Amino acid sequence: MEDLIRTALAVAEAAGVEYADARVVAPQRALHLAVRDGKASALTDSRSEGLGVRVRTDRAWGFAGTTELGATSARATARLAVRLARAAGRTAPARLRVTEDVGPRNGRYSSVVKRDPFDVPREEIVQLLSDTEARLHVGPEVKSGIVSFQAWQETKWFGSTDGASFTSRIVQVGAGMNATAIRGSMVQRRSAPTSFGGDFCQAGFEFIESLNLPELAEPAGREAVKLLDAPACPTGPTTLVLGSDQLALQVHESVGHAVELDRIFGTEAGFAGTSWVASEKVGSLRYGSDVMNVVADATEPGGLGTFGWDDEGVPAQRVPIVHRGTLVGVLSSRESAAQLGLSRSGGTARADGADRAPLVRMTNIDLEPGDLSLEELLSGVTEGVYLETNRSWSIDDKRLNFQFGTEVGRRIVHGELDELVRNPIYSGMGPEFWSSMDAVADPSTWHLWGLPNCGKGQPVQLARVSHGAPVGRFRNVAVRGG
Amino acid sequence: MSRSLADLPSGASADVRVVHQFWTTIRFANGRIHQPHIERSTHVSYRVAEEKRLATATTVDDSAEGLATVRDTARSLARVAPVERKFPGFPTGAGRVRSPVAFSAATARLSPEGATRLAERILEAASAGAPGSRIAGVVNVGFERHRVVNSSGLDRPDALSAVQASVLVDRPEREPPVSGWSDGGHWDVRQFDPERLGREAAARVARTEPVAVEPGSYPVVLAGPAMAEALQFLANLGFSGHGELEGWSCLRRSRGKRVAPPGVNLVDDPRSLQTIPRSIDSEGTWTHRVPLIDHGIAGEAAMDLVTAGRLGRPLTGHALPPESPWGEYGPEPTHLLLRAGDASDEELIRHTRSGLLITRFHYVRVVDPGRGIITGMTRDGTYRIEHGELSGPVRNLRFTESVLTLLKGITLLGGESRMYPSERAGAVVTTAAAAVRSFRFTSATLF
Repeated sequence: MEDLIRTALAVAEAAGVEYADARVVAPQRALHLAVRDGKASALTDSRSEGLGVRVRTDRAWGFAGTTELGATSARATARLAVRLARAAGRTAPARLRVTEDVGPRNGRYSSVVKRDPFDVPREEIVQLLSDTEARLHVGPEVKSGIVSFQAWQETKWFGSTDGASFTSRIVQVGAGMNATAIRGSMVQRRSAPTSFGGDFCQAGFEFIESLNLPELAEPAGREAVKLLDAPACPTGPTTLVLGSDQLALQVHESVGHAVELDRIFGTEAGFAGTSWVASEKVGSLRYGSDVMNVVADATEPGGLGTFGWDDEGVPAQRVPIVHRGTLVGVLSSRESAAQLGLSRSGGTARADGADRAPLVRMTNIDLEPGDLSLEELLSGVTEGVYLETNRSWSIDDKRLNFQFGTEVGRRIVHGELDELVRNPIYSGMGPEFWSSMDAVADPSTWHLWGLPNCGKGQPVQLARVSHGAPVGRFRNVAVRGG
Repeated sequence: MSRSLADLPSGASADVRVVHQFWTTIRFANGRIHQPHIERSTHVSYRVAEEKRLATATTVDDSAEGLATVRDTARSLARVAPVERKFPGFPTGAGRVRSPVAFSAATARLSPEGATRLAERILEAASAGAPGSRIAGVVNVGFERHRVVNSSGLDRPDALSAVQASVLVDRPEREPPVSGWSDGGHWDVRQFDPERLGREAAARVARTEPVAVEPGSYPVVLAGPAMAEALQFLANLGFSGHGELEGWSCLRRSRGKRVAPPGVNLVDDPRSLQTIPRSIDSEGTWTHRVPLIDHGIAGEAAMDLVTAGRLGRPLTGHALPPESPWGEYGPEPTHLLLRAGDASDEELIRHTRSGLLITRFHYVRVVDPGRGIITGMTRDGTYRIEHGELSGPVRNLRFTESVLTLLKGITLLGGESRMYPSERAGAVVTTAAAAVRSFRFTSATLF
């Protein structure tokens, strides 16, 4: 693999570019197993490999990727990248600048894995899924159940004309389930441990075993059925308490994406959008209340956004984003960091495989816990709702106006969790919402949730990221029953 | 491929799908090309059925050795799969071989420099139409060659070519900021007009300050991009085979019943030259025209081999590549055509009298599948309609509304259809603008 990288870089250097890097990902493996209603839903074992070459002239980038590994292909791919950069440079009004981050020399990173998921007998996994899925069907109202397992393994070689090089092997796994109960046109779904595939971690199969999937199934099925008879969530401004999984997604959508420096500078304007955050406000912008503390931590054990070096060869870092409610940091690449005037990149340029160019992506974006127990946090609520497990999510292109629906809600009455309510939706504007957060619960409520499908870029890339969040309390939030 | 299939043991069958693709993506922002990208790749999907146990393995190696390896991987996985009792088996290849419906060699041969030039032409036209604006967008151009072979004798090739582009023109320095948008595409680059996209996006940028309007229900004119997105969600929520199978389809109790005015006709037609044509689906089934809403009457859901077997329905040629593991996706219409009416844009606005013009939506998500409720934002050109005329821009709003309400409420259809392909033409919607009686907005944003 090192030979392929050297070959590609030599072609780029000979063409006179200022910089080039090359990544070989081989193999990139994915195992997706799912059982739905006692039958196979997806049983897919995927294996790919590829080479990506990125070059920079004085004015523009160029990137080319291929699934064909070989010296001839490497040379052709590098030449395509150079042609693209030269063609793109015609539109560039000014010289490109990047930070002078020093990359690793022969760096090595590897996930900590006790039981390699790709070595676990497939029969054992399918049996686990089948047994779990059967338990979701607690009654005739449960029309459908699904239990899924996913594992990824990516072995990567990186080299650049700056002399940087590293290899990494990252293993990630996850699993989850949902039961769908239907009566007439009413559809209620309950997931465990959370929705959209469940929970995910950079770990081996030991993480799947720790989820105790079969024990989660019956409660999920029963709650899906109960929701059919639950009253609609009450409508009106109220005190909102968000469970850890929903608060994690709130962090993702209204903090993580909003502080991506490429969005802030408008380079994602044509697709994902921009940000309400102005670049000159980094360091002074009031983002939320005093209890809001957010970090981007690419060194966090178990995170899907944990690595040794990003796809520009910049080391993984722990970057404060919001400190006591003030925006103090952003997510950046070498180019966007230089544009902001930073001396170093935040090390968050990540690519989805060899055939994609690195973009500014989230790593592990965590809302830090407070010191109230859950009981203490709830005791401050005379009347309100507790919501958990995302059902729908949407936010505007500057990451201001959001609306989230969750699978389940509970009334809170005088500090106690009360009856179940269905179809809860809450909405708001990011800065007001985070300013209304008056309490975050202690570390016993905090969990690092893996989110494997964050879409961004053209061609689209899916990033696997994580978010740690405790239970949080928000005042005067618009809530309604959908 | 044939040799790896011939080596299957008795009781085993398989289908193989090989895709070779070459795509160039030119992204531009802040007036310059910032992310030019080329991808040249091969993808093989090998699905095995052993004693009605199904599993799939994929690879990027289409050599004889690679195919043998991926076959064996699929076989070992199939042995542990639950039995798919109603699996009908792979179809035979009987019938006349039909060559690709449309393929443009000029599109397939477009050089990296040629693709870059398309982006430059959009930039130049947008810049001329709205001097001093910030311009961003993308051009995707490329081609794919597909072949599906199975152990029942089916061997069908296909190919597609496509160009797709979008452009955003915005004025971030204005308070609140304003923006305009245009997008479109074609299977033949020679039929694609990049300057038109640039001009249209520039023309949609508001010249005056957007005003706030109260959330509530308003009559609307949905421009083509907004209609295209709404119809894609209708395809998923109302015509997905999974939705039918699992019972969450919002149209499952309305098949054969009126769900829209008689003037509404929606078909899925992957062979139409008004889409990016495909002659086979991912299982090699010939595609054909499928009525979805016929004079306002709802048709049947889309099927692939597995869903057709489970439900005892005919195949409709809507198999997608290996599904998402958490079961949200499955066979669904991907080449939608809404029959146009004859109204001009001005007539749609005059007809609406008082309401809103929506250029496009942003970040649309499902709120309640059973009732077809979706939510999202308006974006890049939202205008007030008063006294049958556009009276000025408004700040963007969040809608939360059922696609069924939208369908029922169509009162007039525009006369000009446009093709709106997805990034690499995996899905295409060809539609005109429409006037809709009532559309519910539930909150507003600051710009």
